[in-house]
Amino acid sequence: MTSELQAGAGEAMTPDADPRSSGDSAVTLPLVEVRDLSKQFPVENRAKVHAVENVSLHVDPGETLAVVGESGCGKSTLAHLIVRLIEPTAGRIILDGVDITSVSRRAMRDHRRKMQIIFQDPFASLDPRRPVGKAVAEPLVVHKVASGSALDDQVAALFTRVGLTPDMARQFPHQFSGGQRQRICIARALALQPKLVVADEAVSALDVSIQAQVINLMMELQAEMGLSYLFISHDLAVVERVSHRVAVMYLGQIVEIGPRSAIFEDARHSYTQRLLDAVPIADPRRRRERPLISGEIPSPVWAPGTGPEPVTLVEVNPGHFVARE
Amino acid sequence: MVPEIETEASSPILEVRNLTVTFGSFTAVDGISFSLHEGQTLAVVGESGSGKSVTALSIMRLVELGTRGRIESGEILFRGANGEVTDLVQESEDAMRQVRGNQISMIFQEPLTSLNPVYTVGDQVAEAVMLHQRLGRREAKGRALEMMRQVRIPDPDQRMGQYPHEMSGGMRQRVMIAMALSCDPRVLIADEPTTALDVTIQAQILGLMRDLQRTRSAAVMIITHDMGVVAEVADQVVVMNQGQVVEAGSVFDIFEDPKEPYTRALLAAVPRLGSMAGRSDPAPFDLVAP
Repeated sequence: MTSELQAGAGEAMTPDADPRSSGDSAVTLPLVEVRDLSKQFPVENRAKVHAVENVSLHVDPGETLAVVGESGCGKSTLAHLIVRLIEPTAGRIILDGVDITSVSRRAMRDHRRKMQIIFQDPFASLDPRRPVGKAVAEPLVVHKVASGSALDDQVAALFTRVGLTPDMARQFPHQFSGGQRQRICIARALALQPKLVVADEAVSALDVSIQAQVINLMMELQAEMGLSYLFISHDLAVVERVSHRVAVMYLGQIVEIGPRSAIFEDARHSYTQRLLDAVPIADPRRRRERPLISGEIPSPVWAPGTGPEPVTLVEVNPGHFVARE
Repeated sequence: MVPEIETEASSPILEVRNLTVTFGSFTAVDGISFSLHEGQTLAVVGESGSGKSVTALSIMRLVELGTRGRIESGEILFRGANGEVTDLVQESEDAMRQVRGNQISMIFQEPLTSLNPVYTVGDQVAEAVMLHQRLGRREAKGRALEMMRQVRIPDPDQRMGQYPHEMSGGMRQRVMIAMALSCDPRVLIADEPTTALDVTIQAQILGLMRDLQRTRSAAVMIITHDMGVVAEVADQVVVMNQGQVVEAGSVFDIFEDPKEPYTRALLAAVPRLGSMAGRSDPAPFDLVAP
């Protein structure tokens, strides 16, 4: 697999050409590696939305990589591409050493056990007419992992694991609060003991006290099970809390990626700095006067044959890559 | 720095006393009291179901329209431009129509549902002006253009002719603010005005609201769930939970010396940008039980 990857990497310096450039001697293979991934959606007049454009990144085992950016930057599309809910226009996705970019739907089933996704709205992710225990049991049934009383035991254990009680399995989605419903979705995602959980704005709709509890739960699970998270979020304060590394996306491209402290304490790209400056800080002594600008992010729609200027990422510090401006 | 506002000296522009609002057998707002002073920004903060939006809708007396809420008891005392104090709870629907927009304006979270999709935004701002001020169509259009300029909409002449769907969320919220401020209201109520917006656009809208408030010395009541927004804009804070006011005070009192366990629990759960400086690994929240 390694040789195949290096062949694909070519001469262009990408953030993952040498994932362990930070100098670690122990070589761990990344759990997920994405190479030059692109997704374009056709719109009217043969124009295309360049939602994701030549994105390369990796997630290590037990690591949380956060992907941040504003609406339309392509972060959710990237998440959906990685779990293959949608097909990429170009590029490759390597999961646990296997290129899953073009495996058949049937073969994808086995790979999908290793990666799960949770969404922003847990209510929309659960069938309102079925007891939630059935939802959590479903992956175990589909993959023929357990049946009968063994299945019931596993479901009960999953409910306990996410801080719910096993008897709640008989209740329906509307009987739960938003935070409890997201716990149920997490239980379902964990049923097949995945290695990667993609969290697509998974805590964004929750009240702040509930959000903190769910984030703490996700961190506990990571410590216990060695999970990796691809944490998609627009909320930089939350991202600062949960991530080991952070990728900043702008108009479909990664403009900066690096260790959490590099992004939050030593941001180099002007867009990252603009984003950080805009975050309201929950401390009235740090209130900032901001210039009254009215700038907006340009459209990601491009006419046929045109597209965004490709970025060149430069390593400014070990593992910290910034797009040249 | 934001000048400190002497709240005790001036009499309030809006005072809510023992307000109780019900929906059938459910009490959404349970005997709350607070006041809002001229030139001041008051943040009403709380989690979902705390009653903060119902409070805003009650002040506008919109809670009885459409949503079948009922103001059971209490007073909403509003001091008009002439110094006369009226209890909005007792006002007729006709009288309220003169208050809404003219004296107290409101903007909502989702500007797209507040704008009519089949009229240009210029026509809609002009209509708001014509409804409340005795101006002809031409003058109203001129006033609308002036308002669009004040809320810093780029190319306002061209934007006047656009339909809501042709604008971004941030631009639509600017249009709503232009409409809300077109009649120089004494009070602006903003219910989660930036919740649906991206953070860079949110910063622009909050900055705009602050600037407009300073130049007009209007009073602003902002309803939000976001403690970051509260810290950024508020002079005074009212913390609500389950229909009741848990704690009220200056923004510094609330953030630096919260008295109530609920306020402390809420603040402990808020992620603060910069709080992780110097650490390399993620860290869970130190949650405190309310």
